[in-house]
Amino acid sequence: MTDEKTIKIHPVTRLEGHGELTVKMTKDGKVKDVQFNVSSTRFFEKFLEGRFAEEAPRVAPRICGICPVPHHLASVKAVEDAWKVTPPPAAIKLRRLAINAKQYSSHALHFFALAAPDFVVGPFADPAKRNVATIIKELPDVGKLALQVMKFGQDLVTAVGGKAIHPVTATPGGMLNPFSEEKRDIFLERVKEAKDWTLQTVDLAKKVVTDYWDPITKLAIAPTYYVGLHDKGNLEIYEGKLRVMNPEGEIVEDFTPRSYKKYMGEYVSDHSYATHIYYKPVGYPEGIWRANSLARCNVVDKMATPLADEALQEMRDKLGRVIHATFAYHWARIIELVQAIEEIEMLLEDPEIVSTDVKLSDVEPRKGQGVGCVEAPRGTLIHNYWTDDDGLITKVNMLVATNHNIAGIEKSLMVAAKQVFEEKAHEGLKLPDPMIE
Amino acid sequence: MIMAKRIALAQLTSCWGCDQSLVDLHLTLLEVLPQLEIVYWPAVVDYKLKDLEAMPDESIHIGLVEGSCRTKEDVHLLKLMRKKAKILVAWGSCSCYGGVQGLGNQWELKELLERKFLKADTVEDGRIPEEEMPGFTESVVPNTEIVKFDVPFPGCPPTSENTLEALSALLTGKPYDLPEKTVCDQCPKERKEKSITKFKRAHEGHIDPDKCLLDQGYLCLGFATIGMCGAQCPTVNTPCKGCFGPPPGIKDHGAKIISALGAIADMDPEELEKAFPDPIGSFYFTDYGASYLSKIRDKEREEK
Repeated sequence: MTDEKTIKIHPVTRLEGHGELTVKMTKDGKVKDVQFNVSSTRFFEKFLEGRFAEEAPRVAPRICGICPVPHHLASVKAVEDAWKVTPPPAAIKLRRLAINAKQYSSHALHFFALAAPDFVVGPFADPAKRNVATIIKELPDVGKLALQVMKFGQDLVTAVGGKAIHPVTATPGGMLNPFSEEKRDIFLERVKEAKDWTLQTVDLAKKVVTDYWDPITKLAIAPTYYVGLHDKGNLEIYEGKLRVMNPEGEIVEDFTPRSYKKYMGEYVSDHSYATHIYYKPVGYPEGIWRANSLARCNVVDKMATPLADEALQEMRDKLGRVIHATFAYHWARIIELVQAIEEIEMLLEDPEIVSTDVKLSDVEPRKGQGVGCVEAPRGTLIHNYWTDDDGLITKVNMLVATNHNIAGIEKSLMVAAKQVFEEKAHEGLKLPDPMIE
Repeated sequence: MIMAKRIALAQLTSCWGCDQSLVDLHLTLLEVLPQLEIVYWPAVVDYKLKDLEAMPDESIHIGLVEGSCRTKEDVHLLKLMRKKAKILVAWGSCSCYGGVQGLGNQWELKELLERKFLKADTVEDGRIPEEEMPGFTESVVPNTEIVKFDVPFPGCPPTSENTLEALSALLTGKPYDLPEKTVCDQCPKERKEKSITKFKRAHEGHIDPDKCLLDQGYLCLGFATIGMCGAQCPTVNTPCKGCFGPPPGIKDHGAKIISALGAIADMDPEELEKAFPDPIGSFYFTDYGASYLSKIRDKEREEK
């Protein structure tokens, strides 16, 4: 052991969650092992047991403060599936509005606050400067754009869900609060501006793609399987079927979320509290897949909205389909940002969005088992609950978004670590001058 | 211009919602950020744990600790923050009361580990991860029982307005005191004399948007919960679950709720018991870790 070297990054920064990175090197400078150590967990699957099932949608958002809407909705859908309840159409539209608003603010947060510092301030910049606070200070226009985009999404989640962080209004059978005409009118007005900001964000992203073409196409290219939701081939985040694409780019599965156990396995590694979800029929590690924006953009035929679809076709023209370039996740995120704002606009224009018929009044708890599946910003999210005759939860199984990506992250980190430590590939990369000196 | 204050924001086991709430100040951040010199905030800034460890003791003006101690690494970070910060803030309900993960205290750690890593339906050949892993604490307790805090600042999460108010006070050296009022004091709904003969579950029936939810028979915990949030949930016809914890001075939130219900409800104890088959889940949400019940369990465990 003494002749080996271990590089430890503790903690991994600019991400939501608790992670460390361990790179183990042999004495002759070869990368032996790369670990993404997720160092905390809270056991929601256990402490939801014994609760009233209708309260689970209040508890579950606490799994993630950045993406509480998908947890709120996957949870309520799981209860509705177990109790055989179908909410009114207007309630489903309100939920779609909320999840798209969250997708919008989360993708903006990820792009501007978590990822952009690497591209705007530069990957080799002083850590003291490589953050969104610097961007806000040094590039006030970009900073303001970022804050406005995020604010729009969060405000809209609040308007539908009551709270932006840990929303509360979805309940088995519908929504506890209708969307008022007054609120609808405010957001119909605001969405015009938001659409404009979105297009400005697209321009900024395109500049980043052009500037960083070399690392995007050369660094951390990691072939894996991909998983994501679709509706008749369109990219979808609230309700649909799940597709699996193999590393060669062929769709190998297309299944309803209810049968997820046949296709999804959890590998428990010895060095992470987050399990590695993988494509079960192929096994682990062969069946390692990734979820999140790029995975969704890989598995779908097209985007659900026109401007987003143009953007997807542009990415496919340049990088093809299936895309394994890890940095293209950021690009895909921006394509989804466009779909989110277009979906939001369409939903706001739909007269049914202000319907007061948003909740059933005769929902009966019952014994059953239900699956709720949505796409969280970081990937496919599944809640599976078992309830007894009184509607109390007796068992829970959950597959959360990030866990679909842990093994894929390790795989792409292994590629990158070899490139950096063994081949010094990063030294030869063509990089632009940072936008901030 | 005011001298920027050195601030550190540390995340123990949590959902990071408190961080999102701070970020949700959005354009107001433009005014707040210049007053801060961020010396540690992994969610946003690239400083590492060793940077924090290398700082002189008490060299940080304001330390905010979010999350609770579910792992041994959390305990290390909490103690480190206490050493390095002059003013330490218990940021959010996890930090103040243990948070929603405190509900896990109903079981032994072994049972929690088994459920997740060994017995989950989708897990095959499970194990308890150990390599490079910090290990877990036996139960979740409020951070305030592990180190001394200067400012309690509850909320799940505290609203952006709460956060601005607290930060502004701390930055200008003014005291920050928690309000004595309850969620009911902030709630716009019309209240009448209470005489509840039957409790409804959250999904049942139709809620009258103008009337008090508790009067309508829904278990809305606003009457026993500190009024900081602006009654966000009842305003949108959703019962308060008490996620900000009790008003100052009340030691056990759930016990307070149960004793008050006895007076509010026109029901005999057996009926009440039947209406709430899950008292812990119903009367504690983010503060079971701070309850007498949880402490008794901890004590029994120690004696074993």
